[in-house]
Amino acid sequence: MRRDERGPWYLLTGLIIGLILGLVYAWLISPREYRDTYPADLRASFKDQFRAMIAVAYTANGNLPRALDRLEYLGDENIARSLAEQAQRTLAEGNSPPEAQALGLLAVAVGQGATPATLISTKSSTPLTAIPTSPGSIQTTPFESPVPASILTTEPSPSAVSTSPTESATRIALATGTPLPTRTPTPTLGAPFVIKEKNFICDQKLVGPLLQVLVEDQSGAPLSSVEAIVTWDGGEDHFFTGLKPELGNGYSDFVMTPGVVYTIRLAEGSEIVLDLTPSECETPSGSRYWGSWLLRFARP
Amino acid sequence: MKRWIWFLIVVLLGVALGLLYGWVINPVKYVETTPATLRIDYQTDYVLMVAEAFQADSDLNLAARRLAIFGDTPPTEIVRQAMIFAAQYPYAESDQELLSRLASALQTWNPSLETPLP
Repeated sequence: MRRDERGPWYLLTGLIIGLILGLVYAWLISPREYRDTYPADLRASFKDQFRAMIAVAYTANGNLPRALDRLEYLGDENIARSLAEQAQRTLAEGNSPPEAQALGLLAVAVGQGATPATLISTKSSTPLTAIPTSPGSIQTTPFESPVPASILTTEPSPSAVSTSPTESATRIALATGTPLPTRTPTPTLGAPFVIKEKNFICDQKLVGPLLQVLVEDQSGAPLSSVEAIVTWDGGEDHFFTGLKPELGNGYSDFVMTPGVVYTIRLAEGSEIVLDLTPSECETPSGSRYWGSWLLRFARP
Repeated sequence: MKRWIWFLIVVLLGVALGLLYGWVINPVKYVETTPATLRIDYQTDYVLMVAEAFQADSDLNLAARRLAIFGDTPPTEIVRQAMIFAAQYPYAESDQELLSRLASALQTWNPSLETPLP
């Protein structure tokens, strides 16, 4: 009689024990095998490799819609920025300049915006209108969606990879200060690029003393992926235009160190600009900040 | 005795519910996965990218290094799996041809002859 008075609590205890045992087994001892994962879940270093491979493939086939489809796998919030940042990192590490250039090229192409692509199903040969697949939509039955980009035949879109400007470098040329006395740029015989503009910029919005470079063709259109070489006493650095597409495809910059004198030229050949050094600007209230140099190279 | 039987029954019931929850309803969410765990169509697309790059640069060592992202699996096997999937789905003929070229080239690839990186 006394036992019956204890009620059914032992059943609840058993259920809880069972639940705990089941969860320990399912989550810790034998979790569900993780196969069929998505590129968005990859470790960051593998994502970088995947992204670099997309860029390299893009430079090989020039197929921007396909590259965009693939980039969506990775679930980046801002695809162009991710590409540009990785290009900068790769360039800084110096491991694979061609890869950095490929990433830069793709960043520029993506920044200009993809043109709508006409996709053709290889099964039905019926033209389909490309519908951007959101990264979230990949959580579906295998092979339903997204349709692997590789089975789609896309029409090339030359306009998407052209270097026509869509954005301009709005951050620059806000205020023009008095240039410090420097030597006249040294003309190089047969140089494909000449200096069209050399201004000292006083703009408090610019972070740090910058060496800003704009590269244009004969018609004034920005040129991306142009390599600039900056040298100083005991050092050298290379950077490419177009890695900050939000500032223009022909734009690039370099952060100078106060007290260091720099020389800059373009790798393809250009006039050499000597004696560039950070100088200070002054606000009407008397506070001081670092100004920047703006150099505009153009094909003659 | 009857109480013990009921106790064991509810323990088993709890285990079943725990497994259901841990395996089906709320399984362990894996992040930072490796490429070897990617779904086959994504793996195949990566291999296709390698094939596209190989078509342009003809650098077999580089292609093999790029395929090494999948771990210890030999490059020839990785490409073979991709070709099988590409043929089953099927991918565009031009893409299958790219995979086929890469597979053929890898047949002659000897890892021991690869130039070491500086």
